[in-house]
Amino acid sequence: MGSKEICRNELRIAVRQLSDRCLYSASKWAAEQLVGIELDPVKFTPSNTRFQRGSSSIRRRFRTNEIMSTPIAGVSYVSTPVMEEDDIVDGDFYLLAKSYFDCREYRRAAHVLRDQSGKKAVFLRCYALYLAGENRKDEENIELEGPLGKSDAVNKELVSLERELSMLRKNGSIDPFGLYLYGLVLKEKGSEHLARNLLVESVNSYPWNWSAWSELQSLCTTIDILHSLPLNNHWMKDFFLAGAYQELRMHNESLAKYEYLQGTFSFSNYIQAQIAKAQYSLREFEQVEVIFEELLRNDPYRVEDMDMYSNVLYAKECFSALSYLAHRVFMTDKYRPESCCIIGNYYSLKGQHEKSVMYFRRALKLNKNCLSAWTLMGHEYVEMKNTPAAVDAYRRAVDINPCDYRAWYGLGQAYEMMGMPFYALHYFRKSVFLQPSDSRLWIAMAQCYETEQLHMLEESIKCYRRAANCNDREAIALHKLAKLHCELGRLEEAAFYYKKDLERMEAEERDGPNMVEALLFLATHGKDQKRFEEAEVYCTRLLDYTGPEKETAKSLLRGMRMAQSGFPSMSAEHFPP
Amino acid sequence: MAGILKVPGAFDVTPHKVSLCILLQVYASPNQLFVPFPFSSFAQHNRLGLFLLALTKSCDDILEPKLHELINQSREIGSSSIDWLADHLISRLSSLSSPDDLFNLFTEMRGVLAGQDAGIVEDDQIILDPNSNLGIFLRRCILAFNLLSFEGVCHLLTNIASYCKEVLSSRAPHEAHLDGSGVNLMEASEYENMDLENLVFEKVTEEIEAKKKAGERIPFHLHVPTPIFGLVEDTDIELSAKPTFKQSTKGKEAISYAMTLDGSSGAVDHGFFLRSNWQIQGYLLEQTDAIEKHGSSFPLNALEFMLGQLQKLAPELHRVHFLRYLNSLYHDDYASALENLHKYFDYSAGIEGFDGIPPSSGFNNSGRYEIALLCSGMLHFHFGHPKQAVEALTEAVRVSQQHSNDTCLAYTLAAICNLLSEIGISNASGLLGSSYSPVANMGTSLSIHQQLFVLLKESLKRAESLKLKRLVASNHLAMAKFHLMHVQRPVLSFGPKASMKLITSPINVCKELRLSSNLISDFDIESSMMITDGSLSTTWLKNLHRQRGSSVIFEETEPGNRSNASSFFSQPNSIPGSVSQLVGASYLLRATAWEMYGSAPLARMNALVYATCFADCASSVDAAVAYGKLIQYLAAYKGYKAAFAALKTVEEKFISVSKSQIMVLKLQLLHERALHRGHSKLAQQICDELAVLSSPVTGVDMDLKAEASFRHARTLLAAKQFSEAAAVAHALFCMCYKFNLRVQDASTLLLLAEIHKKSGNAVLGIPYALASLSFCESFNLDLLKASATLTLAELWLSLGSIHAKRALTLIHSALPMILGHGGLELRARAHIAEAKCHLSDASFSVPETSGVVLDSLRQACDELQILEYHELAAEAFYLMAITFDKMGQLEEREQAASSFQKHIMALEKVTDEEDPLLK
Repeated sequence: MGSKEICRNELRIAVRQLSDRCLYSASKWAAEQLVGIELDPVKFTPSNTRFQRGSSSIRRRFRTNEIMSTPIAGVSYVSTPVMEEDDIVDGDFYLLAKSYFDCREYRRAAHVLRDQSGKKAVFLRCYALYLAGENRKDEENIELEGPLGKSDAVNKELVSLERELSMLRKNGSIDPFGLYLYGLVLKEKGSEHLARNLLVESVNSYPWNWSAWSELQSLCTTIDILHSLPLNNHWMKDFFLAGAYQELRMHNESLAKYEYLQGTFSFSNYIQAQIAKAQYSLREFEQVEVIFEELLRNDPYRVEDMDMYSNVLYAKECFSALSYLAHRVFMTDKYRPESCCIIGNYYSLKGQHEKSVMYFRRALKLNKNCLSAWTLMGHEYVEMKNTPAAVDAYRRAVDINPCDYRAWYGLGQAYEMMGMPFYALHYFRKSVFLQPSDSRLWIAMAQCYETEQLHMLEESIKCYRRAANCNDREAIALHKLAKLHCELGRLEEAAFYYKKDLERMEAEERDGPNMVEALLFLATHGKDQKRFEEAEVYCTRLLDYTGPEKETAKSLLRGMRMAQSGFPSMSAEHFPP
Repeated sequence: MAGILKVPGAFDVTPHKVSLCILLQVYASPNQLFVPFPFSSFAQHNRLGLFLLALTKSCDDILEPKLHELINQSREIGSSSIDWLADHLISRLSSLSSPDDLFNLFTEMRGVLAGQDAGIVEDDQIILDPNSNLGIFLRRCILAFNLLSFEGVCHLLTNIASYCKEVLSSRAPHEAHLDGSGVNLMEASEYENMDLENLVFEKVTEEIEAKKKAGERIPFHLHVPTPIFGLVEDTDIELSAKPTFKQSTKGKEAISYAMTLDGSSGAVDHGFFLRSNWQIQGYLLEQTDAIEKHGSSFPLNALEFMLGQLQKLAPELHRVHFLRYLNSLYHDDYASALENLHKYFDYSAGIEGFDGIPPSSGFNNSGRYEIALLCSGMLHFHFGHPKQAVEALTEAVRVSQQHSNDTCLAYTLAAICNLLSEIGISNASGLLGSSYSPVANMGTSLSIHQQLFVLLKESLKRAESLKLKRLVASNHLAMAKFHLMHVQRPVLSFGPKASMKLITSPINVCKELRLSSNLISDFDIESSMMITDGSLSTTWLKNLHRQRGSSVIFEETEPGNRSNASSFFSQPNSIPGSVSQLVGASYLLRATAWEMYGSAPLARMNALVYATCFADCASSVDAAVAYGKLIQYLAAYKGYKAAFAALKTVEEKFISVSKSQIMVLKLQLLHERALHRGHSKLAQQICDELAVLSSPVTGVDMDLKAEASFRHARTLLAAKQFSEAAAVAHALFCMCYKFNLRVQDASTLLLLAEIHKKSGNAVLGIPYALASLSFCESFNLDLLKASATLTLAELWLSLGSIHAKRALTLIHSALPMILGHGGLELRARAHIAEAKCHLSDASFSVPETSGVVLDSLRQACDELQILEYHELAAEAFYLMAITFDKMGQLEEREQAASSFQKHIMALEKVTDEEDPLLK
């Protein structure tokens, strides 16, 4: 229980420090986790919390001398002393600047702090300048924009900020927050290696700044980079690793981390949403739906991650639930990329693709790097048979994130639609490489090989086999495998796969033409192989169906009876007992 | 809609254009009299006008000049009033501190134009005609300004501030705060002081400045302190790209390339930058040509860097991806080539600026993905994946049929033909069988040869009907190659054996070659306008530059006209590189054909034509082939010394090219020489090296493999290991037969005859010689036939003196061919054989015919000494000594005998001197 208490205390202080520096999203995150910690019913009394809040400075001084090791699950964590504030009482100017900042008047805030030299003041000034630059950049993007796509607007403050921060760093008068900002600036400028180093430095000395962690995470594009980071062991690192694993598509590892974290932060919405994300990647839609329903119950005005929920609803074709969700987010905040994507999804489900494209465009206008919007828009264009536009949209998605297997898949699909299966194979190969556990991708690739133009059946069989091994939900692969083997004259293999398919259909209690086909083949095959009993079983099962197969089964049975009765009776005549 | 290109050429008001407007105002200020104020003469005034005209021409630039660059350029006017002009410009620009100032400026501009009341203009008043080039430019600027939203005006204002910030701060930092942009400037200078400690930053700027200085010829600014360069200085693109290239390839090619590359060689230091959309496209096309020409010797990283910059500046210019593809293709980077190819076609849908398709007409909704398939087919072909290549090309055929893109179809068919003829017979049969054949109506029963032939015909027909001149020409070439390389059965065949007669058809080859070179005579503007346009505007501005200072400028007043564009081409550039490349290829093929049919002088002539006329447009591999042929000729006719000297220069020239071509040639020459000198150990070693050069895969590099094993057999023969030599030759014959290498078959048979002759088994040798003879006859291999006849004669001769007469007739029948076209060795052999015939003839009487014998023997001796062919030379001297002996001329006999001894000694003393050429 002690560890929870430690986390809680650390977070409490961090929330205040972060919001003091106007790092609002980080402080939001920290506060969410703080509330997410399971409450200790014994200690949870109003007076207790009030005490903590009121005397934070006293406690802080006390804490720095204490060794805080939080040995969860055998990992020894490095204690990171909570930072000392340089002045407990903020200067008047700082207060003014912060108020300006809170009113989003960034330049004004920076101006107020122009002569302040305290670390906090310097940070806030730089941060305000940075944000002012970002704001201006966004505005310019809209003012100067051509068609959707790239624009060359840059944050004009970056150069001067970099100069100042690098000087501060050289003087040694930079705090972890300054380092974070410096890292941010460098990342924007494209010097990723340096940015990574700075961010690591920042999180090592102040681990509670989630914004720094997530910037770092976005810079970890390969597993090797991730492992090479010299990070201190702190419980925040687990959050980071879980997120990084997810980005690197190591979903099971990430899930394990999150589940472990849930032991401490059992009420954290964030963790729940992340788990949902991982489950979504693993295509466990049922679970995702359950999680999101619970999330919405606890946090009804949440917009983050809700587009994923809408994807699940879309996949399950829940019209009313999707429309309800769309309405809800629309009422909450209609100008969020997520909301636009949800509405776009809804229209797409309704088959109104033009409208849906409009909403995806809006999402892209709000955030032109919105990956899912590009991909989804590509899907819509595919539906509208506008393949060049679809190709373009998918390609932009891929350029934003080359690991987006859905977009690669979409590209392949678009080219396949244009009757270029060989060309499409390149894209399917890419997507399969990124997501080898998705049977749909394998099936798409197999179908490409199978087309009459290519007719590379061996390769197709290989792909179907992979698909069958990856928990093929629609059960296409087994049937196809059987059929292809049959086509290539390998009857034993065909029989094997037909049998497997049959077992599966029985287990899932499905019925249909595939069943009839399998039974018919097995019956004929059994007869040809002189396994009459087996053949008879299949034939009798066939008799339950109507149609021409029934007649075929009857004649098969008759033929077998003839053969069976013929031989023994003959032998009986020759050798009387 | 995404997926459709942005409309190019939206006319925006930029700071550069504003300064042009200000200059225009100076040029044509309405209140001035005949010669306006700052100018001392009419000429100066005119020069400013021309300058402005040039600038307005390039106003569609992607990259616009900075203010100091503009001022520097304007110095070209060469007027004494230039300082006033610059000051005026700067002060006007920096006085623009509020949006209202801009509004006023543009209202003033209207005054420059003659209004509706243009009728009452007085004569001596300078007023801009609204319909002139400058007038239209001004009107466009005014219109564009009026269309701006307030945000737009604000942007313009900030841009102007940063536009003149550099110049201002370098001029007078302390004066800067006088104008509206002072706040910014103060900040900037504040930061400049701060950055002193920053090492990284400093290093970068130092680097840039060093680069600048390196490229600088004229001091950049007259107004002292070095300007502050931004971290990314755009003109650096050219700077860094050019020198690296110059280093990597020497010689005049590189220099001429550099000239065309950046428009004007002095451009960089002047801050010249003319990069309109067209020009960039043209520039990229030039780069494309350069990449294709120089192959892997083209600097990868320099171009890559430049492309990166270009992409940053012009994100919608997708051709950059295509260039990246080409670049990595030629540097054998498969992954990146594939990636960029796909990227290019995903973005542009194959519509943007592909040759042969006018950009406007190719605008249907479906895109042109068949071209993507064609390209990816070529890519796989290049990387040696014939199977994938065939798949891609088949798909390209299908898709282009679907979209009825006949042009692409024709090209694809040509590509398939090329593929088939390149990968050859061995592995193609299984290949086409596995998938279905590319052209649906073709029966699979046809042999690969016939398939190829049918395809070639079809593709030729298609190209002809589509009037694709270049394709027709290249198809003719392919056809000629086909006729040259493939031995055909007569079309009609009856019976099992009778039809097996194989022939080649040199007439067809000749016809096809002629047809293909006809292209150059009736070449018209099939090539896209883009090339000419791009290079035109480049050369145009270059010319303007060159003319400054000279008085020529007044004669050529209206240089903008496209009609007299040709006068601006400094070199006869009207034939695009690809065309002359094709024509060159036809000459190369001609040389090969003559080589095969046995006329060395003609082969040499064609190779020479190629090397002299087409060297600058040829790809380096082709050029290496041509040089190789010339050197081989030298070796055969002038001896090894000359050949090796030439080889050395060629090796230097092609130092960066994949060396296999030259390497093979060198080994061949070395082997030949070793054999002649009798160094059989060395010969064997070289032979092994040659064999190693070929690829280990069966069915690939067949020519090289055949050659290596042929030389192996010859080495064994020279070492007198007859049975081994015969075994190798047999194996070689079988291989050649299997892979349909008919020409090699003929020479292998001849070699077998030779082996039997040397082993003293003349009776066995004769059938081989006869077989070789008949092969040569039906394949029209004249020189080889002559040499087979000679061998036959030698065989007869060795059967005894009774056959001397027959042998002599044979030799005489072959002699014209041998003397006309044969190399030194062959000629010497013929002479010796002739002499032998005479000597062994029973009716031979020394005093009467000794003249004939001695003559031919002397010739043989001379030729063999050049070749250092000791064995034969010894034989010749021996014969000579005998003749002299019979004639009773003892002194000459002794001389001949001592020469004989010398050669024998040389042969026996197998010196192990290290050959400097063999490493």
